[in-house]
Amino acid sequence: MEELLADIVGVLVTVVEACGAAIVITGAVWAFARFLWVGLRRRTTEAFVPVRLTLGRFLLLGLEFQLASDVLRTAVAPSFEELGLLAAVAAIRTALNYFLSREIADERRQVAEQEETGSAVDVTADEHRRRSA
Amino acid sequence: MTAALEEIAGLLAVCIGTAALIAGALALAVTHRPSLALSVFLDLLLAAGLLRLVGDPGWQAIVTVASIVVLRRLIGVGLRVGGRAWSSSGGGSGTRVGPLRSSAVARLVRPAWRS
Repeated sequence: MEELLADIVGVLVTVVEACGAAIVITGAVWAFARFLWVGLRRRTTEAFVPVRLTLGRFLLLGLEFQLASDVLRTAVAPSFEELGLLAAVAAIRTALNYFLSREIADERRQVAEQEETGSAVDVTADEHRRRSA
Repeated sequence: MTAALEEIAGLLAVCIGTAALIAGALALAVTHRPSLALSVFLDLLLAAGLLRLVGDPGWQAIVTVASIVVLRRLIGVGLRVGGRAWSSSGGGSGTRVGPLRSSAVARLVRPAWRS
């Protein structure tokens, strides 16, 4: 019975980890293509920020899957060495999850502030143009 | 099955590491902003590190990814603090160090009864 459980958990862990890895790979490839596009075509600093934000979201989603696989692994963890490794990996992934979500929130706030300042500058420029006309 | 997944993920991690170098160099060449280029480089490097953790990683892989995470945070904080000091001084490279140094020297040289 225990062996059957270990087999099932092993397959599930592999599937969930593969999903997480696929999400991370997709995000990285997409972000790399966008970085190339933005770098060669638009050539502005601001254009890089949304791409970084989206890559961060992909990484977060991939991390969630990987954390899920860690949780699944705790169902079957025979040796103390394996438990230590699992704890270290889970701690790294949880810390990454926390820092990444904070970074994304910071960047999003900065983008919103920049958009607000940009729109304020546009409004004053329009008013100035109207008055001078 | 896990070994195959680990092998594929390791191979892709190397590819993404190379892509990180290319993207970082491109960002630096285009924007001339090292902080942005470094962020781009470290973002993609983090993706590569996450892929290295797939499967049953050894202690070496774990330490590598952990050091990347710590390095990322350190560099990020350092650049943010540096950028804030740079912008608050309100000038170019010449105006940043001069007034700070001169005010510090003046404070040191000035006698206590004059303050």
